[in-house]
Amino acid sequence: MNKLIQNEMMKLIAKKRLVVIAIIIGILVALFTYAQFKENERQREKLGTDDWRTIIQQTIIDQQNRISSPRISDEWKQQLQIALQQNQYYLDHDINPSEPGAPTFMRIFLENSIELFIPLMVMVIASDIVSSEHSQGSIKLLLTRPVKRWKVLLSKYITLILAISLIVAIAGLLSYSISGLVFGYKGWGAPVLTGFSVTDAGLNTASVKLIDQWQFLLMDFGLVWLVAIVVGTLSFMLSVLIRSTAAGMGVMLAALIAGAILSNMVSSWESAKYFFMVNLKLTNYMNGNPPPIEGMTLSFSMMVLLIWWAAGLFVSFYVFTKKDVY
Amino acid sequence: MNKKVIKSVTLISVIFCLLWLVGLGWAVTEYYAGKPDKIQEKTNVERKTEKKDDLHIVAIGDSLTRGTGDETGKGYVGFLLDEIKEKSKQDVRLTNLGISGQESDQLKEQIQQTEVKRQLQSADMILVTMGGNDLFRGGQGLLEFENADIEEIEKKFLENMNFIFQQIRASNSEANVFFIGLYNPFSDLEQGKEMSAVVRHWNYQSAELSAAFPKMVFVPTFDLFELKVNDYLYTDKFHPNTKGYRLIAERVASLLTW
Repeated sequence: MNKLIQNEMMKLIAKKRLVVIAIIIGILVALFTYAQFKENERQREKLGTDDWRTIIQQTIIDQQNRISSPRISDEWKQQLQIALQQNQYYLDHDINPSEPGAPTFMRIFLENSIELFIPLMVMVIASDIVSSEHSQGSIKLLLTRPVKRWKVLLSKYITLILAISLIVAIAGLLSYSISGLVFGYKGWGAPVLTGFSVTDAGLNTASVKLIDQWQFLLMDFGLVWLVAIVVGTLSFMLSVLIRSTAAGMGVMLAALIAGAILSNMVSSWESAKYFFMVNLKLTNYMNGNPPPIEGMTLSFSMMVLLIWWAAGLFVSFYVFTKKDVY
Repeated sequence: MNKKVIKSVTLISVIFCLLWLVGLGWAVTEYYAGKPDKIQEKTNVERKTEKKDDLHIVAIGDSLTRGTGDETGKGYVGFLLDEIKEKSKQDVRLTNLGISGQESDQLKEQIQQTEVKRQLQSADMILVTMGGNDLFRGGQGLLEFENADIEEIEKKFLENMNFIFQQIRASNSEANVFFIGLYNPFSDLEQGKEMSAVVRHWNYQSAELSAAFPKMVFVPTFDLFELKVNDYLYTDKFHPNTKGYRLIAERVASLLTW
């Protein structure tokens, strides 16, 4: 088994996919850092100050004005209301929600990439891990060895999990080191509020907790990792089912993008919450953003993801051990 | 391929894999079992804002402060700001806290917020527009136009404003405060004459109230709109248009001293 995994790892490293992924992440992080820097500069110019309290106060006023406008939908109004209450809570307790610094940038980057960007990067590796053996014809060599088929597949799957862990780590390290050049490397101990919950009546602040940013980040990483594993497993399954890597990637890509679009418009279609792609934004539960469909909780989303994960894994192994290879 | 490289990459991946697992477990336990903290609310405004040498203007109030109806989005505050920037050598900083549709009850709440107090404290000039929504209720008041009701509304309004001005003065005794009066957007309509009488009385009371506070100036706008009200109103026939806002800004600008 060890040998098999080593063999798979060797193929992974030889393909240099990880390097490509690191370059993509690096370029994007640099872009976002620059955009963030510009945005800060614009804000400073507009408000004439760096003071975060003034900036939040101004945001609150803008939100209040948007809420009082008669032309916005009820749903949007409620979301604004929640964001507003959260801002007000931060302000009342004198806590800066986005302490400038690389850790904060990293947090925001993670929260925004959990849904689409990280899954895409994972897909790059996961979707051809099996099907490329088909297209290169090496699958026959692999299967003629005196090893059980499920062991071959398992070694591939373990390699995938290791690669995903590495991708998440690369995203973290690169976003920290690149944004730190501009924003500074401090801020691990900055206070972050978590435990907001969204109810019908609006934002519930009864169970709010104050934690250090590094703690919050570690939790975020855990959630990002889980999402990446689930998406990776499903791509893995498609890679087993569909011989063509491009087709497998296309299906997965369509699902992910559908998820991103659906999250914005499914609030009235309740059964959509059983789709895995609507449940990807796990970090929302940590920072108190309202879920796309009312009544969704962290455990619900994780349950849905785990069921999809188990089903994907089962189908992969079942099909791979049964199917004819020619 | 170097065996060592493969081994070390594998090892690093395993370590990260375990680390993320720990994070995931922690997130779940923290989400469900974490104990809420008692976080102290900050209410003291003592945090002195370092007095900068720029001119800080704070505008509070309703949609007029916001600039509703002005195509350029500036409102009288924006035009006034432009004018001051032209004349003054200082840097000018504006904090616009206006909220559309705000009535004096809500302003009373807003003014007690810690951060709003802090802004007022560092202000060199404070602009207030208030009363339009109290009196007209977005135009509905016109339909249920009855004198008895209006007296009641006016009394409540003056009480609120008295409280608001006291609050402003308590946080900042130096800044000049300009309280912008009401105009009558309905003066061309059927009951315009009666409405104008009400607005005049309202303004008179407001001016009386302002006079009771030091460095507080009541700025009339009633006369600006009196003759050609429709030329200066936005299509909603309630808010001023760009021209109307410019008139108000000019009036306030003429009161400024350097």
